[in-house]
Amino acid sequence: MNSVVLRYPRQTLWADYIRAVTGALLCGLPLLFLDVNRWMGLVLGAACVLFLLFLARTALRQVTRYVLGPDTFAADGPTGSLVEWARLDRLALSYYSTKRDRTDGWMQLVVRSTGARAVKVDSSLESFYDIVERAAQAAEARKLELSRATRVNLRSMGITVAGQEDAE
Amino acid sequence: MLHYVARRLLLMIPTLFIISLLVYMIINMPPGDCVTSQIDELLARGDADALARADELRALYGLDHSVWYRYFHWLGGVFRWDFGLSCQDTVPVRDLIGERLALTVLMESCTILFIWTVSFVIGVYAATHQYKFGDYAASFIGFLGLAIPNFLLALVLLYVGKVYFGVSIGGLMDPEFIEQPISWAKVVSVAQHLVIPTIVIGTAGTAGMIRRLRANLLDELQKQYVVTGRAKGLSPMKLLIKYPLRHALNPFVADIGHLLPEVVSGSVIVSVVLSLPTMGPMLLTALKTQDVNLAATFLLFVAVLTVIGMLISDLLLAALDPRIRFGAAGEK
Repeated sequence: MNSVVLRYPRQTLWADYIRAVTGALLCGLPLLFLDVNRWMGLVLGAACVLFLLFLARTALRQVTRYVLGPDTFAADGPTGSLVEWARLDRLALSYYSTKRDRTDGWMQLVVRSTGARAVKVDSSLESFYDIVERAAQAAEARKLELSRATRVNLRSMGITVAGQEDAE
Repeated sequence: MLHYVARRLLLMIPTLFIISLLVYMIINMPPGDCVTSQIDELLARGDADALARADELRALYGLDHSVWYRYFHWLGGVFRWDFGLSCQDTVPVRDLIGERLALTVLMESCTILFIWTVSFVIGVYAATHQYKFGDYAASFIGFLGLAIPNFLLALVLLYVGKVYFGVSIGGLMDPEFIEQPISWAKVVSVAQHLVIPTIVIGTAGTAGMIRRLRANLLDELQKQYVVTGRAKGLSPMKLLIKYPLRHALNPFVADIGHLLPEVVSGSVIVSVVLSLPTMGPMLLTALKTQDVNLAATFLLFVAVLTVIGMLISDLLLAALDPRIRFGAAGEK
């Protein structure tokens, strides 16, 4: 297997930029142009900071390239990290949705190898399935104990980890 | 998680804006305004200048402007913690709601804590002792709680308290502490008076929660992994806490958002019956007299509490159980 370079699609990044800027403006403009009450200002300020963090995270995603290789998975960017599949010690696959019926959500994969910083990727990343499949193989080889949520989410993607099929 | 929080927060902002707009417009829909009822009252007292004062009062409350102007003026004031003038005694809404808002939040928080604590203990007991005396007793209490209206329970407790114990259990503090600054004696008095309203308002919610927790836990306890765990010799307590209880708690967490508006709206009549100085009775009066600024401010607070409750429950659910649901549309 050759190394593959992956990036977040431009469309996804723009959608996140729009969300971050809209949120920051909605919370920041009243602070700039209105005589806001102290406590109200604190709440709006905190929300504005959160949206600015989200903006920074989106920018980081744009400049980071992810490299999936046979033995490693690397996030090559300002806050990059390297995951060695042979030393994998954490695999968590979570599902998030902002809808009440939990449809139209997205997955988030967190992988980490011993002594290194974790790499987090969302399902909008190119070849997300391949990364998850490779991580699951590594978890199986390393006999990692996976959480129930991770097992259920893996199964929803058609991936099972030997010895851990007892999820719901 | 940052992605999730940002998206959820972004949804909250237009939600609150739309709620505030709808609330303000709906309160304004009935014919007449708060001045009409004041003028009627003055005319009934034989005040000949009443009609002449109508325009003056309308200008004072800003009622001579369009409803859109009044809405955006009120909304702009919300950021400055200035909710305009109330038609009741012509005082700023801010001054009227101060302590009432704090007491309401305190009472609703205590009620929700009561609902959780009682329903958690009884629900788990009922599920782990299915078809035994305790289960039947819990179900009976649950059905009683569901069937008895809150205001009736409040009236019964008022009667029992006065006739059999000689104590008045109305109000949220002893009369000598009303309008007094906060002090340790006042805090103690409020804590003592909180017990009855908390029980009265919480009973119906507790009953529903007990049924839900019992049903969810029973469902989990019958699953294959629990049977396997039991066969492997796991202790009953460890087996209960490890997975079934954790998953049965999800609806508990998911209910936080729904619980807040239910408790707030359910407490209005009880507050009237028990003479509680909370937002409920004042909201009722404000709606009856078309005191738009006061009613809209109260309802905006309820909306904010609901939306925050929903946010907290969604964040907790996302952290506790980030599982996909089979049958959901799935990932992107």
